[in-house]
Amino acid sequence: MLTYLLRRVLLMIPTLLGITLVVFSVMVLSPGGISAQTLVEGSDMKPQEKQALMAYYNQRYGLDQPAPIQYLRWLNNVSPIGFTQDAEGDYNGFSFTKGMDLGTSFMYGRPVGEILAERIPITLLLNAVTIPLIYLVAIIVGVKAAQDRGGRFDVFSNVSMLALWSMPTMLAGVLLLGFFANVQHFQWFPTAGISSRAAQDMPFLPHFLNGVFVSGFLLDRVWHLVLPVICLSYAGFAGLAKLTRTSVLENLHADYARTARAKGLAEPDVLWRHVFRNSLLPLITVSAGLLPSLLAGSLIVENIFSINGMGQLAVEAVKGRDRELVLSITWISGFLTLIGYLIADFCYTLADPRVSYD
Amino acid sequence: MTKHEVSRESFSRRIWRKTWQGWGVKLGFAWIAVLGFAGVFAPFLANSMPLLMRKDGVISAPVLDYLTKEDVLVLAMFALLVILAGVSWSAGKRLLVFIAGTLLATLLINALLTPPSVVIYDQFRSAAYTQVEWRVMPPIEYTPQDYLRDFGDTGLEEPLEATERTHWMGTEENGADVLSRMIHASRIALSIGLIATGISLVIGVILGGLMGYFSGVIDMLGMRLVEIFESIPTLFLLLTFVAFFGRSLYMMMIIIGVTSWSGYARYIRAEFLKLRKQDYVQAAVAGGLPLSSILFRHMLPNGVAPLLVGVSFGVASAILAEATLSFLGLGLVDAPSWGQMLNQAVKSSLFNWWMAVFPGGAIFLTVFAYNLIGEAFRDAIDPQLSRNAGVNG
Repeated sequence: MLTYLLRRVLLMIPTLLGITLVVFSVMVLSPGGISAQTLVEGSDMKPQEKQALMAYYNQRYGLDQPAPIQYLRWLNNVSPIGFTQDAEGDYNGFSFTKGMDLGTSFMYGRPVGEILAERIPITLLLNAVTIPLIYLVAIIVGVKAAQDRGGRFDVFSNVSMLALWSMPTMLAGVLLLGFFANVQHFQWFPTAGISSRAAQDMPFLPHFLNGVFVSGFLLDRVWHLVLPVICLSYAGFAGLAKLTRTSVLENLHADYARTARAKGLAEPDVLWRHVFRNSLLPLITVSAGLLPSLLAGSLIVENIFSINGMGQLAVEAVKGRDRELVLSITWISGFLTLIGYLIADFCYTLADPRVSYD
Repeated sequence: MTKHEVSRESFSRRIWRKTWQGWGVKLGFAWIAVLGFAGVFAPFLANSMPLLMRKDGVISAPVLDYLTKEDVLVLAMFALLVILAGVSWSAGKRLLVFIAGTLLATLLINALLTPPSVVIYDQFRSAAYTQVEWRVMPPIEYTPQDYLRDFGDTGLEEPLEATERTHWMGTEENGADVLSRMIHASRIALSIGLIATGISLVIGVILGGLMGYFSGVIDMLGMRLVEIFESIPTLFLLLTFVAFFGRSLYMMMIIIGVTSWSGYARYIRAEFLKLRKQDYVQAAVAGGLPLSSILFRHMLPNGVAPLLVGVSFGVASAILAEATLSFLGLGLVDAPSWGQMLNQAVKSSLFNWWMAVFPGGAIFLTVFAYNLIGEAFRDAIDPQLSRNAGVNG
């Protein structure tokens, strides 16, 4: 198992390199490419200032050099082992401990690592709340539909799940925002952000202060998350519920289930202790694909609900043609996706002892 | 004794018959037919100029003078399709004739047609076009780019709010009629879905086929490529492509196609890995047939049917991808698009419900229709699965 994991992690390296290579080539091949010229905007700048800024960018990122060399430079900066640079930009040695430098964002003028450290936790929080919810709803609906095969609940859930699955996230987001957060209709939920300004100073848990209810940081956060999490999760559980149903149905009529019933086991025991455990496999396989789709979903949801997460950052970065940010974000989202696949394969062995990867 | 019956029904016909059984798939095809009709005849359904008018004893059709090259091409392709549907040729021959005809039409139209470069829509509401003996107007009297500047401030009006004009679905931020824009946008949605999926299908089948047939090193390298494209969230890759390459409809089709082939490749690879050791493939190899013939003539037809499922879902997701890009403000600039209209629903802190309900509803229905069709194909092609799922009882 350990060797397998090690091999998988090593195989991730070429894939991650490939991801950055693809994105980098897109940027280089685009009309105009990435040159200091395209980064220095603003006609209100004096010619000398403009020249100086361009010279600075060229010196720092080597933008005047051919694309392959630019890529290698970037790669060297990012990888934890590589050549070290002195103040003039000349390479002076090889180090195993130089650490990763994701560069500086052109747009924000701040280190990319710092910006990402602010944004990633927010997106991860959104997804961490969403995934358990997706599984909970999908399993309840799917198992119930399988038990009621051909019945009213089954047909109804089947059609409504397909409809939910086809519903674009942006439409759901816009409708929820419009009807449940807007002043014109029900103003039940906040329209933007993941916490209100006042909540920053509040204690963590809700409580009463002099007879007045104070919502506290936690409740305020939950309040802000309700609509975005609905938007992120509904498509996921719609797809997964169908899968749960198929997989449970397959096992409900399997020989071992009949044996269990013949032994005199109660139906709930057959269902949850025997059938359900065996139906888990496809659910785990899908979990790996869930993460990339959730990342893409956050892109839309964060834009609709003005949440300062990675998705919003991604849109800003590509709109601003911010090379360092774009590369780092793709790289990290690719990494998260690959980790997702790895965890899914690992869970696979836990759920089914027959599966081994040696 | 029961008589043994031999079915003479061909595979494709059987799949088609089984697919057509459910009501969901019929609804799906019906909606797509409506969209197709709207897309093909858009200039005659929603336009600011009269279809026909008689002035000073002369009958004229202003619509025809203002048809763009694109309009004519779409009409020509539709006519070609209708003609080909009536001819009893093989599918391959029809496809070839269709492609050749389309290319010919494109060349002819580019050479012969010179539509007016600037159209001032206000003038169609002037005396020259209104004081006539009789005229026939299209059902919706506004072109998508008709921003109603002659009516003053008309941005974001609720449906049927204006008294002197009729807007069944209100107006968008520049004052153009939403229904008219939606009708014209159906053309973009449909064409992007079909062409982008076509491109990704071609890439996926070729790469997947080579990977599956050769296996070994080629397979290993190919799988890394598939993995790379799978682990970058497609939407993100799309964003990067569009932001760095500019926004044109054709660019978007190519980009969506280039970024979404990995699923098809994975599928065809698995199928070809199974097929490559079969006797008839070995016979074809031993017979010295060229590689393209082995791959596409002999192996592909045996693994192609389930691709229909992938294609239906693929078209749905391509349409969704275009809508999402337009929604995020990275779509086409002036062309009408459902996603771009949906984007205006929550602008300026007000909620413009008609901008959410109508364009959003159109996106939803189209995606839903393709998904229904995909499900039906899957149930028809994979009876094992559908029996397990309790579809066929």
